[in-house]
Order: sequence, then structure tokens, then C-alpha cells
Amino acid sequence: MTHAHISPAKYLWIWGWLAGLMLLSVLVSELALPKRTIVLGVLALSTVKAALVGLYYMHLKFDRRWLTFLALFPVLLIVLAAGLVYSSRLVRL
Amino acid sequence: MAISAEARTIPGIPAGKMGVWWFLASEIMLFGGLIVSYVVFRIGAGGWAEERAHTSLLFGAVNTLVLLTSSMTMVMAYAAGERGDQRGVTRNLGWTILLGLLFLVIKGFEYSTKLSLGFTPASAPFWSFYFTMTGLHGLHVLAGIVINTLLWIEAGKGLERHHRVELGGLYWHFVDIVWLFLFPLLYLL
Repeated sequence: MTHAHISPAKYLWIWGWLAGLMLLSVLVSELALPKRTIVLGVLALSTVKAALVGLYYMHLKFDRRWLTFLALFPVLLIVLAAGLVYSSRLVRL
Repeated sequence: MAISAEARTIPGIPAGKMGVWWFLASEIMLFGGLIVSYVVFRIGAGGWAEERAHTSLLFGAVNTLVLLTSSMTMVMAYAAGERGDQRGVTRNLGWTILLGLLFLVIKGFEYSTKLSLGFTPASAPFWSFYFTMTGLHGLHVLAGIVINTLLWIEAGKGLERHHRVELGGLYWHFVDIVWLFLFPLLYLL
């Protein structure tokens, strides 16, 4: 599948967002905020950056949805595994 | 019977692209498992933030910009291939390879600095995770450089197989995404 409708200018624009969000995450990590807020903020910014790379540079936005499912399914499995670890800790408590 | 990389297994998805995505799905499990293990261990014990404070924010941030820029040049190489611009493909692939090498040089300098200061994989659990995760990621960068070099050589001969630039790009962008999570976990938080 070709993605000729994405112009090089758009790829450059996405790079600008990625670089800007990276600098923003450094700034957020230095703010005098509660640790939990910083952790959630910085990881949310990383997720947005990963989504931009996946959607535009890896063309998931324009490819078949099946590929997005294939990419997200292992993430779901990992989240479930992490949930099991924490639920077992709660049970022991 | 041989199946070409452009043959369709699911309508609209070439077999080569499907194969790369299946491979990336297994890689997500590998790095995802490592990252979740890091988070679980870090939440479960104290003293990690003090160790993390010894990583260099400057090196980490510069390397993040280097990898993000290399992802941009990689996708520019793909776009040039779509336009039939052979020089554009080789030029952008060349930049991607150089930026990948720069990433490894900076990482190597960072490693030597840390090791000379006594921060080894055995010195604390944080450093064990640090060297394991960044080392495994560095090996993936190295593999990406090899793949991109092969694509660069092939592109120099012609654009008959330029769709392979997209396949190599999928792997390169994945390596970039992994770093987008390693950077905050090991340098910021």
C-alpha cells in the first residue's frame, strides 16, 4: 500500500511535534509537582509521541486496522500481566 | 512455492509487511516485559531514584533527539522511494545510518563514563536494568544500522525493491518507540 498522500512537509511537521513533546517531558520532569503527577504526565507524553510515530511514520493511520490490532494486542497482554502481578499483591495484603 | 514480499495474505496487506508486524509484536512482548519488570521492581523497593539521579539527562535527551531525527530521515527515504527519487532514498538512508551510529557512539561514551565511576550491572538493581535494557536496545539499533546499510546498497543500484525501505523503516521506528519509553524511565523519573 502506498502512502503518497502524506507529504514530506507533514513528516517534518510530525518531527517538530515529537521534538517539542520530548523537550516538554524534560520540562515537566523538573517541575516542583507531586511525584505521581510528574510520572503520569511524562508517561502520557511518551504515549502521545509513540502514537505519533506509529500512526504517521509507521502509517498505521492509513493502513488496514488489522495491523493496529496486531500492534496493540501484545500491549494489552502486558497490561493484563502487570494487572495480575498487582492483583496478587493485593490478595496477599 | 516461494511467496514474494509483495504478495497479499490479507487483502491490502503485503506478506512482507505482515511478517514484519508479527515480528514487531514479539518484540513488543520482549521490551514490554522488561519495562513492566523494571516498574514492578522499582515500586517494590526504595533507593532507585537516588541511583537514577546518576544518569546523564543531557546524553539521554540528545540521544532521543538523534533517534527522533533518524526516524524522520527514514520515513523521508520511504517518501522519496514513492516519488521514484533514487538520490533522495540513498541520501536519507545515509543520514539514518549516520544518526544511528551517532546514537551508539554517544551511548558508548555514556557507558564508559558510568563504568569508570563504578556503576556496573552488579552495583545495584537499577544499574542491572539500565545496562540490560539500554544494551538490548543498542543491539537493536546496531541491527537496524545493518539492515539500513543493506537497503542503502540496494537503493544505489535502483528502486526496483524500494518497498523494502518501508519494511526496514517499520523496524527502525519501533526501535525509536522503545527508546521513547526507556528515556523517561531511566533518565527523567
